[in-house]
Amino acid sequence: MELEEAKEKIKKTITWCPGCGNFGILRAFEKAASKMEKVVVSSGIGCHGKISDYLILPSCHVIHGRVPPFLTGIKLANPDLTVVGFVGDGDALNEGIEHLVHAAKRNSDITIFLHNNGVFGLTTGQITATSPKGFRSKSTPKGNPEEPLNPIALMLVSGATFVARGYAGKVEHLSNIMYEAMKHKGFSFVEILQPCVSFNNTWKFYRKVVYEVDGARDFEEALKLSYQTNKIPIGVFYKVEKESYEEVLLNL
Amino acid sequence: MQFQKSAKINYLKLTHNMDFCIAISGAAGDGVRRGGLLVAKLLSSLGYNTFVYQEYQSLIRGGHNASVIRFSDRKIHSHRYYYDLFVCLEDYVLDLHKDRIKGLIIHDSKFECSNGNTIPIPMTEFIKEEHKPIIYRNAIVLGVLCRLLGIRFEVLEELFRKEYDDAESDILLAEEGYDYVKEIEPILKVEKIGDAKEVYSGNDAIAIGMMRAGLRNYYAYPMTPASSILHFLAKQEDVIAVQPESEIAAIMMALGSAFAGKRAAVATSGGGFALMTESISLAAMAEIPVLVVEAQRSSPSTGMATYTAQQDLDFVIHPAHGEFPLILASPITVEDAFSMTAELLNLAWKYQTPAILLTDKHLSESYESIDGLNGSVTEEKIEVVERCEGIFKRYEVTNTGISKIAFPPNIVKANSNEHDEFGFTTDNPQIATEMYAKRMRKEVAIKEDIQKREPYKVFNHGKDCIITWGSTFGAVKDVAEELGYKLIAMRYLRPLIVPEIKGRVIVVECNYSGLLANKIENKLSREVERINRWDGRPFTPEELRERLRGD
Repeated sequence: MELEEAKEKIKKTITWCPGCGNFGILRAFEKAASKMEKVVVSSGIGCHGKISDYLILPSCHVIHGRVPPFLTGIKLANPDLTVVGFVGDGDALNEGIEHLVHAAKRNSDITIFLHNNGVFGLTTGQITATSPKGFRSKSTPKGNPEEPLNPIALMLVSGATFVARGYAGKVEHLSNIMYEAMKHKGFSFVEILQPCVSFNNTWKFYRKVVYEVDGARDFEEALKLSYQTNKIPIGVFYKVEKESYEEVLLNL
Repeated sequence: MQFQKSAKINYLKLTHNMDFCIAISGAAGDGVRRGGLLVAKLLSSLGYNTFVYQEYQSLIRGGHNASVIRFSDRKIHSHRYYYDLFVCLEDYVLDLHKDRIKGLIIHDSKFECSNGNTIPIPMTEFIKEEHKPIIYRNAIVLGVLCRLLGIRFEVLEELFRKEYDDAESDILLAEEGYDYVKEIEPILKVEKIGDAKEVYSGNDAIAIGMMRAGLRNYYAYPMTPASSILHFLAKQEDVIAVQPESEIAAIMMALGSAFAGKRAAVATSGGGFALMTESISLAAMAEIPVLVVEAQRSSPSTGMATYTAQQDLDFVIHPAHGEFPLILASPITVEDAFSMTAELLNLAWKYQTPAILLTDKHLSESYESIDGLNGSVTEEKIEVVERCEGIFKRYEVTNTGISKIAFPPNIVKANSNEHDEFGFTTDNPQIATEMYAKRMRKEVAIKEDIQKREPYKVFNHGKDCIITWGSTFGAVKDVAEELGYKLIAMRYLRPLIVPEIKGRVIVVECNYSGLLANKIENKLSREVERINRWDGRPFTPEELRERLRGD
């Protein structure tokens, strides 16, 4: 299929809700990826997962929660590729959370973009691991009885060597972070704050509380920053150079 | 006809020039397994055929381990029920074996042994004198056996030097054992009868078979009895062998590697296989080739983790949600495990769908002597589109159902969702109809292909017929001819291709229900007889003979 034809086809078939945070993520990524070579992507199950269909890149839309090991398999088979995974909050922090932790622990040279909208959208609104306590959803009509996970803190303590947060409403900022994440050698993790217009509309909330922070800091500072909730920092939290898993295993 | 411990099992008379069975038993940590393997290597170096059955418990120290080594001048694929010689390393293991011992008992003189014809050897004293750990009793045992079997000591010495960088202590202790029984007349005269053979386990053969068919990436989470495939491949230079966080991660990594163009495989047992099933369905949908080895052990659930079984056939034959083409086969001997593994990896790539090698503990962890794994098995290359413009038509609808393959960085879009020819997600009913049928059509091509290979092996002539699958072949092979049965050893289980059979049919398998028997009945449209056991122990020729006669 010619690329122009593919672009037309994609334009006609995008099925995200109007106003979905995923549009900003897609735009930010397309811009970042255009500066990279040999990019291959994968995505899990959920609204975010459709991004594989919307990119003119080699892709594999896999199954729920299993993106990280699929990416490591690609990287071990062909280390020349820039290997990128899109995951959801349910898709990576509920089911398959062990894969995310272990991919970070082994510092696999892959990049994970977490579309964090705090809700299961595609299944029409149930809690995920990042839904706030008290959050009313179809599965928790009396309110979510659990505290949410802190993805940034989890990735920091798991050994990720690049940890950042972006916001779907700040496309330019997000795109720069995505580019930096893909450039980073080793495991890169970017949490992306993503409003879900249908089941967890956080546009107004994020517009008020999100603020940019500059540059990376040391581990303790990054961890402390990840627990800040009155205002929500976006930017690179932590970055460190270490030998990647593939370098060790493949003697690169 | 189901398994009951028979009070009387006849000793299988030696109908050949040489057919002798030795058991070594002791505690875990005594090195019984290693000892058994060394005895097999010693005999194989003289050109004999050996079969070593390893029985052990799921523990690291203490308990009961046994290594049963049978050797013969003809090809054998099973151990025997009775031992012509028994080596007893701990007093408490004797009780477990005493009904099976038909000959001499060699034992450590640190304990009394009043059972029949015994030779006490001061093994513990010898190793204490040399300040060696308990595992070195093996060396003494080998020395004693060497003398009693009438093997020249130099043969053993050479084996030790080949096996160990520093073999001096082993040789010294072996010599002490050898000299200690020098006054006793050897019970056999085992001389060189041919070229040295190599000794491989089923899992060794599986690993070598994978490599022969072009394996590049191997992923496995430890699980008995599949783990030794990982151990073998982790030592190889040209295979990336990885132990990830779970069986799910293992198969997803394998799929990632295959998507990127490298031949990949995974191995596990029933429990780990259960975790992999969703990914097997993904592999079939996205048409990503993968070889999965499932080494069965006693089940359900954890079962008896270190004992054999053939209880997973129904599970593995339709392992995951949806309908999809799948190739399933079960090797019958160690040598067969080698060639079948290679064949399955080739077929997975040829048909771009999952292939499963269903083995069992008895085949995976038993050893056999082999002239060498040199069969005409190679990597059957498939056509790969090296460079493409635009988006690659990865799922082109074809008559055979097989589409051309290309790999990233070409724009190849694979998909777990139903998709069009370019890999874009679709719910269009017409495209879904065509695409589903395209995948399923591969089953026709697969069946034609398998028919031309070897879906089953036939042995002997006879009106009546015994059918086996997996390692059960070995013990049946020993008695089928003598009792006048034809023997059909099934190799491919999906597609299952059964020849026409006129007479009685008896299906022998290590499960309760007769899982293969049910399928054979279905194919033949008539009832078949069944011989089953599900106690975690493999059949022996003697037991089978009783049950076939008692029919």
